[in-house]
Amino acid sequence: MRPLDEIETTAVFEKIFKFTGNNLKNIVENPSHEGPDANAGRYCFRLNKTKVYYVSESLVKRATNIARSNLVSLGTCIGKFTHAGNFHLTVQCLSLLASNAKHKVWLKPTSEMSFLYGNHVLKGGLGRITENIVPGDGVIVFSMSDVPLGFGIAAKSTQDCRKMDPNGIVVLHQADIGEYLRMEDEL
Amino acid sequence: MGKKGQKQKIILPPELPPETSDNEIEVSDEDLQFVDENRDYAGFVSRLDTQSITKHVTRVADVKEDALEALYEKRLKKKQLQKEQEDNKLEVDPVDALPVKTLDGQLLYRTATKTSRPSEEGETGDDDKEATADQSVVKLTKAERRAKLKKSKKEAKKQGTELAKTEVEQTPQAAVLDEVKKDITAEEAFEDKKRKIAELGIAVLSDPESNIKSLKDFLQICKDNDHAIVKLGLLSLLAVFKDIIPGYRIRLPTEKELQMKVSKDVQKMRYYESTLLSSYKVHCKSLIEGEMYGFGSNKKAKVLWRCMLMSVMKILWLERNARVFEDKEMGIEDLFERAKFSASLWAALDKEFKGFPFTLIILNWGDAYLQRLAALEKQSSFQHVAIRCICTLLDAAPHFNFWESLLGVVVRNISSSDDVVRRLCCSTIKSIFTNEGKHGGEATLEAVRLIADHVKAHNCQLHPDTIEVFLHLSFAEDLGRSKKTDEKNKVKNKRNKKRKNVEEPSKLPENDRKRSKRELMSKMRGEVEADYKSVAFTPDVIEQRRMQSETLSAVFETYFRVLKHTVQPVAASSEANAGASGSHPLLAPCLRGLGKFSHLIDLDFMGDLINHLRMLAAGGSNSENTSGKSLTVSERLQCCIVAFKVMKSNLDALNVDLQDFFVQLYNIILEYMPGRDQGEVLAEALKIMLCEDRQHDMQKAAAFVKRLATFSLCFGSAESMAALVTLKHLLQKNVKCRNLLENDAGGGSVSGSIAKFQPYASDPNLSGALASVLWELNLLSKHYHGNISTVASSISSMNIAHNQVFLSNVSPIQAFKDMSLEQQSLSPPNDLKQSNGKRKRGSVPFRAEHSLDTSSVDKDSLRKKLSSHFMLLRDIKENQRLRSELDHATSSLQLYEEYKQQMGKDKRDKPEKRARLNGLSK
Repeated sequence: MRPLDEIETTAVFEKIFKFTGNNLKNIVENPSHEGPDANAGRYCFRLNKTKVYYVSESLVKRATNIARSNLVSLGTCIGKFTHAGNFHLTVQCLSLLASNAKHKVWLKPTSEMSFLYGNHVLKGGLGRITENIVPGDGVIVFSMSDVPLGFGIAAKSTQDCRKMDPNGIVVLHQADIGEYLRMEDEL
Repeated sequence: MGKKGQKQKIILPPELPPETSDNEIEVSDEDLQFVDENRDYAGFVSRLDTQSITKHVTRVADVKEDALEALYEKRLKKKQLQKEQEDNKLEVDPVDALPVKTLDGQLLYRTATKTSRPSEEGETGDDDKEATADQSVVKLTKAERRAKLKKSKKEAKKQGTELAKTEVEQTPQAAVLDEVKKDITAEEAFEDKKRKIAELGIAVLSDPESNIKSLKDFLQICKDNDHAIVKLGLLSLLAVFKDIIPGYRIRLPTEKELQMKVSKDVQKMRYYESTLLSSYKVHCKSLIEGEMYGFGSNKKAKVLWRCMLMSVMKILWLERNARVFEDKEMGIEDLFERAKFSASLWAALDKEFKGFPFTLIILNWGDAYLQRLAALEKQSSFQHVAIRCICTLLDAAPHFNFWESLLGVVVRNISSSDDVVRRLCCSTIKSIFTNEGKHGGEATLEAVRLIADHVKAHNCQLHPDTIEVFLHLSFAEDLGRSKKTDEKNKVKNKRNKKRKNVEEPSKLPENDRKRSKRELMSKMRGEVEADYKSVAFTPDVIEQRRMQSETLSAVFETYFRVLKHTVQPVAASSEANAGASGSHPLLAPCLRGLGKFSHLIDLDFMGDLINHLRMLAAGGSNSENTSGKSLTVSERLQCCIVAFKVMKSNLDALNVDLQDFFVQLYNIILEYMPGRDQGEVLAEALKIMLCEDRQHDMQKAAAFVKRLATFSLCFGSAESMAALVTLKHLLQKNVKCRNLLENDAGGGSVSGSIAKFQPYASDPNLSGALASVLWELNLLSKHYHGNISTVASSISSMNIAHNQVFLSNVSPIQAFKDMSLEQQSLSPPNDLKQSNGKRKRGSVPFRAEHSLDTSSVDKDSLRKKLSSHFMLLRDIKENQRLRSELDHATSSLQLYEEYKQQMGKDKRDKPEKRARLNGLSK
């Protein structure tokens, strides 16, 4: 377990920034309320093996007692570095992103299942969409009752969505909560 | 004039042959009869009084042949005389001017026809002033003469010569009359003129057809030097025109039509129309001129004035250059002289001053200047009259000729700083917009275009009324569908026609005559149809549709221009308009208009529009450090409202979440101040954004619930009522948010990642409001106002009585209105601001500007009152202080007295005491 170096930090932050915009500040400066300490401090990012974790400082202190090889996980895993050095967000960071989301898409109940099986979001399944989305932005996908279902990348801007046919792809799938079942081993 | 003469010579048949034959006499008999019957035609010259003509005509009629001969003799004599005169001036060789062969087979030389010229000049010589205006009339009279066939022409000639004579005679008379008039006191003249105006007006109104020519006398009166008379004349002329203007547009007959034979009735009608038209034109012109320069019909003065302006500019510029670059200076007197000199020099070159020695101009400079000043002084009052006349004319007859120029003037004055003028113009434009049936939409389009140009030209710095008028536009929506089908049909028809046309020639190639005949027929029919269309005022659907779309595009162009202009300075030059809060006077009406016509906006504009609105809504908060507060809270709220309206009315299929605007609203609520901002707008925003939007995130809803509860604690009862109604609505919709009603901070599992309520968060999604408790409701249920306390307690009991039917489903706006009205009735004198709100509500569109004004007025009056109050208090204090000082002084004096007395007593006592003491000691 170690803190992220410069390059890794920028990679992680850039990715998160896509989804949260200026709310990234809130994620970084979020005061912790975990752990037994009265003064829990803040959350920080830690790298263990290839995975990046979002951990409260008090937990980090305690985790130092465990050898690196023995440490399986700590805090919330938010993503992992690939062999090529790219950073990928995983489903576990969904709650973190959802509470700070900038662009949102709400799915109709009928198309929720399709998304949870790993398909893209189509125009026909769109219940609601935040205004002012630009293609390439990170988008959080919600159910109509405001339960975060996953996230992806916008394929079309909000303006373009109006003219699209119902089968056009609006959001490209990246992760969804169905993965907890489908890819249990990998997570 | 020369041109005219030539024309006449070519077209006109020859004059009387030297010897009169029998047939000729017969013809002239007919002629005389004709003239007798249509005296009005004969009297086509305005200056010619009918009496002289009638006298002349009757005399001819009575004595017949002998008299005729005498007349001819007279005319010959006259001709000779004129020839002699002309021979001195210009002699045209018969050779170089081609002779004209007349119908009678006579050769006519140009020199012979020249006789007609002086008479013509006699007729029109006085028209110089209104030369351009009256040209049509003169032309028409000429044309008419042509139309009257050959015989009537002779008569006209005669009259012309007669006229020349009478006029020559009249000039000395007029001179004498003038002298006499001068002797009469000014008042009498005034009375006379007034009476004359009244008589003329009554005459025209009683029988406009026969008395149409007295309009010219009217116009003459309007050229008077006396301003009061001019005003009266203009106003009465206005009344006359209002009554006699026909319901159609007059089209002057073309040359072709003039040559055609027409019945007497048609001729009469034509004459009537043309005279009416020309006098209307002159009237309009004089009105417009009056509007522009104040009263100054003196062309020379005008030219001089223009030259003076230019020369002053030039001289100043030269002087500035000399001072800056060459270190030379000149005295003010010298400068003035030089300006005068150059102005006179320039003026001398003008055609108005032809024949004027330029030294004379310099000498007369002072006179002209004074005259000009006087005219300027009169300007304001005169302008009012002119504007009123123009507005009424346009209002009464927007279909009639020259409406364009009238409209131009009205639009130019629509943002005048003068309240009266502006209101007049606005109401006129409004009536144009609302009564489209009167003019078939043309005027609407033109007016909207003109206003758009006006806004563009003035860089959006105009009075809000300018755009306010757009709100009165109405667009019929059902036109679209019918038009489409029409177009389709048309296309089909065209195709059919084409096919037919293609087929026809192949079928009958040989039958040329028939085809040509048919072609002629169809051509005729087409012409007739076109004529009919131009005459008929039945609304053409396609045309109307086109005009509507153009109007709409002009309106939106204006709106977008205003929006852009409002956005720009915030981004680029913030300093320029940081000072004035009302630097965007047009924004408020623009936003209102956008809200009203939101369903008509093209989808392509939508992205841009929303972007601009977002910038504006964020305008105040984002650029706080740079430009301070550029937009008021109300304006920003309006932006949010407009964005929502636009979204709602255009996008039923796609549900777009306008998150940015929610963030803005969340923050604006905090900035709201009851007195300064319009509660009305806030209530509307609450209704549209929170009550009518279909879904909300739980976090957002909770944040708004919390904020509204806080808000309702600190503001007046009307605002807090609106807020509470919204709050209730939100709680009803979002069941999970009712956790806020539980007496348990922390929110439990629903509170999300943010575990603590952050009241200062600017984003509703990050405020963590679900972790808070609505303790405000408990306080509000003890509110002094009964309604609020009941609403608050009903909300707080919402969670317990789960299945309760919620009876009150009033909108926040309604609640706000009710409360503010109630409050007003409770305490009218106390609540100044509420009364303002009431007045705003009374007039349908309320104005930001207006409220600002009144509030400032209120402030002033308040300050005055306070200062007087404090003055009084200070006086009282001063008084008290003085009195207390006085009391102090008097009391000290008394004490001193007493002390003195005591001292005296002591002195008196002392020996006794001593004696007593001595006695005791002894």
